[in-house]
Amino acid sequence: MSIINYASREIQFKIVYYGPALCGKTTNLGYIHQRINPENRGDLVSLATAADRTLFFDFLPLNAVVIKGFVTKFQLYTVPGQVIYNATRQLVLRSVDGVVYVADSQWEKMEENVESFKNLEDNLAKQNISIDEIPYVLQYNKRDLENIAPVNYLEYVLNNRKKRVQSFEVISSTGQNVFASLNAVSQILLHKFSKQSDVPKAAASPVAIPVEPPVRLKAGAGV
Amino acid sequence: MNAIPVLTIEDVATLDGVLAEFLKKAEAELTVVIDRGGNVISQYGDMTVMDVTIIAALAAGSFAATKELARRIGEVEFNALYHQGNGNHMFMNSVDDDTIMITVFGHRTTVGLVRFYSAATAQSVATILKSLSREGHGFSFDASDIEAAPIFVDQ
Repeated sequence: MSIINYASREIQFKIVYYGPALCGKTTNLGYIHQRINPENRGDLVSLATAADRTLFFDFLPLNAVVIKGFVTKFQLYTVPGQVIYNATRQLVLRSVDGVVYVADSQWEKMEENVESFKNLEDNLAKQNISIDEIPYVLQYNKRDLENIAPVNYLEYVLNNRKKRVQSFEVISSTGQNVFASLNAVSQILLHKFSKQSDVPKAAASPVAIPVEPPVRLKAGAGV
Repeated sequence: MNAIPVLTIEDVATLDGVLAEFLKKAEAELTVVIDRGGNVISQYGDMTVMDVTIIAALAAGSFAATKELARRIGEVEFNALYHQGNGNHMFMNSVDDDTIMITVFGHRTTVGLVRFYSAATAQSVATILKSLSREGHGFSFDASDIEAAPIFVDQ
């Protein structure tokens, strides 16, 4: 759930990278962290096991475009892909605004791709969110490998819904289309956000005027 | 997407007032109000040494993870958590079903004092948050505002 703060002039969004185990979700965040202007990002926090498998989530906060004087802040999360961690996936999906679904293009991963997508639908439904309502894009990752399904097959398996979404051929290890897919979901999300702006006439609309930055207390100082 | 909470300048001023009073009484360093999805709603205090965004994400995760522990002993959730460090400590308590309050404090105070004042503060914060407008955020923009350039740039 996004939050709009008229005092700090910020809008916050949460985007979750979802997909089966070892499909490249963490690699996506690692590439973004490595390549984006350091001034526009925070630290990449990774709660992983000793073998670098995501245990809880990865987290990367980003500052994005300024729209009408408001800084848009995006918080990128990954979920642990392994089937047993479903409770953690539900937790990370809480208050989600947009999803990047990362599919593994290898033939032997098709069943896991379908299962994970169904799991995403189920976990969103538990929050009363329909997959058809939430902004999301599809990544067909690992396009550099040999044993991969053709894109039209992946489209048939994962993007065969009434409303088809944008999909990208991705190589997350080299960064191919990593930013393109992030930008796509962010655009869809912002458009949707803008459409939700209607304020009932009875309600007073917030006044967006510049304010002084909040007072910061120094340790030991009284108020 | 659910209804979007709107924090007006007045709302933030009211929240800041409540949090400032809490910090003064509890003699803590920093307090942050977050939603259970990890988003920062409000913050007050010395933020120079910490990345509040990351603290919020991790605290929301920590709070949710212990919910399962609580269930094992017949509780719905633990409504407060305390992490003790050598010099700095963290206290987290539930504000309402959607919100958590985090307090960071050092040697100037005690967990008892923080716990005591945070209970009343959480109630005040809950009341303020309940009154937030969720009908419409009144912030609209044209497609051209966001389509002129990529939102994120690969350098």
